[in-house]
Amino acid sequence: MSDASMTIDGAAPTAAPNSQRFRLRLRWDLLVLLAPLMVLTLIVFDIPLLTTAYWSVSDADTGALTPKYFQEFYDSNAYMRIIWRTLAIALEVTIATIVVGYPLAYWTTKLRPRLRMIVLGLVVITFWVSILVRTYAWIVILGNAGLVNRGLMWLGVTAKPVEFLYNELGIVIGMTNVLLPFLVLPLYAAMIRVDQRLLQVAETLGAGRMRIFWQVFFPLTIPTLAASAILVFILSLGFYITPAVLGGGRVPLIANMMDLLINRFARWEIAAVVSVVLMAITLSLYAVYQWLRERYQ
Amino acid sequence: MSARGRISDLWLGVFAILVLIFLCLPVLIVAPMSFSDAKSLEFPPPGFSLRWYENLLGNPIWVEAGKNSLLLATLSSTAALIAGTLASYVLVRGTFFGRRALEANFMAPMIVPSIITAVALYIFFAQTGLLGTFFGLVLGHTILAVPYVVLIMQAAIRGFDVRIEQVAATLGASQWQILTKIVLPNLAPSAAAAWIFSFVMSFDEVVVTLFVSGTYMTIPKRMFNELMLQVNPTVTAVATLLIAFNLLALGVLLLLTGRKKLFGAGMA
Repeated sequence: MSDASMTIDGAAPTAAPNSQRFRLRLRWDLLVLLAPLMVLTLIVFDIPLLTTAYWSVSDADTGALTPKYFQEFYDSNAYMRIIWRTLAIALEVTIATIVVGYPLAYWTTKLRPRLRMIVLGLVVITFWVSILVRTYAWIVILGNAGLVNRGLMWLGVTAKPVEFLYNELGIVIGMTNVLLPFLVLPLYAAMIRVDQRLLQVAETLGAGRMRIFWQVFFPLTIPTLAASAILVFILSLGFYITPAVLGGGRVPLIANMMDLLINRFARWEIAAVVSVVLMAITLSLYAVYQWLRERYQ
Repeated sequence: MSARGRISDLWLGVFAILVLIFLCLPVLIVAPMSFSDAKSLEFPPPGFSLRWYENLLGNPIWVEAGKNSLLLATLSSTAALIAGTLASYVLVRGTFFGRRALEANFMAPMIVPSIITAVALYIFFAQTGLLGTFFGLVLGHTILAVPYVVLIMQAAIRGFDVRIEQVAATLGASQWQILTKIVLPNLAPSAAAAWIFSFVMSFDEVVVTLFVSGTYMTIPKRMFNELMLQVNPTVTAVATLLIAFNLLALGVLLLLTGRKKLFGAGMA
């Protein structure tokens, strides 16, 4: 696959003139195969995104370039507050997935192969169930008469129901639940790849269990942990369903704000500005994610 | 192993099992609720009944939403599979300037938050008259499924021995013959897996649908609307059917691709 032109591997060993003609025909063949997806991506993805970017910087009436929508966005306390809240919740969710996900992945690597497959199977199954269904279930579990509150009251931990729903706590719980597999699965894969001999060497040299874990094992899993954490953070930024359902409209995040701007207030230009800002944050974090993956894997 | 080591292992185990319960709880709780005979959402359910399923199937809006969802998922996953497979073949076997950029462009709908895609499609479709049309909805779902098809099919084509194609070329087969008679038939299991994957993605999709579907109702859209209004136990029946449907699809995928590949695809 080192040939500079668009050819099929291995088409080379034909005689030279023939091969020239063969290649030319191939080039058209290949373009025909690529065309449907190129056209689709161009029309249904690239052009709409560019249109949105254009809307964010052009005057709605005159079409002239203007920074006024960015200015309006930046000057508005309401928009900025939602942006900061989204970043804060994304950070909380990321920390929560690390705190609960890392031990789960680590524990899984220590299981017998059969049990391991069962645990991984459970993680993959939850991964497959629609976000809407998983979010919905939390209303039942966390509601005032829900499972958790009745359990807490029965145990005497609290006299009246704890408000889990329609606030940030509910959103963080729901999002952590949805995003956990994105951290656990890659982390498990990385932990399995850690060279056991390194741990044995540390043990022979007299290191205790805690020291082996923190000074040998944990540092080896940091690149994957960091990459997965960034992925979870990126995914949190664009969450729409979970904050809408578990926040009950009281705790809008960026995505819910975009929904309101389009469907309620018809402020497309501001929605376009928010899209551009969210896109810039997402892509720069994604670049870091890719860099980490390529550097350490 | 020291006694302290065993105790910390025990704590790790207890904590990990609690996390696993946390992870599975939503899936475990919805199914029993759907068979409840109580009017409100109570867990555990006081008695058994099929009233919510009867409610669901007797409601023309849900039935209509179900038909729309099936048609939408079938059309969009088929379109994504055809366009994605052809392009994947060129991406894997061809070498040309801009190949990586093109691949990144095809994968982008998976990386860009779907809310951005939704807003962009809304603005673009509104200007081109596609907003609220079924065709526009199919286009939106197709573009979201494309990255998964490209991911799965590229892996499949990479795993297919290029020498078989070379032999066919030496024996005088045209590029078209190689593709249709040799490559594609051998990719059938992966293609089926990619189709099922796209189908499930489309069947569960909410965000883009909410923005571009206009008056068309789909199952997840209807479910979302219900959730925003009031808590209606009929939704537990829908949710249970969706879980069953997704697990069935997962089972078929396992049969088609084997466990190993599936975990690979699921990580993306």
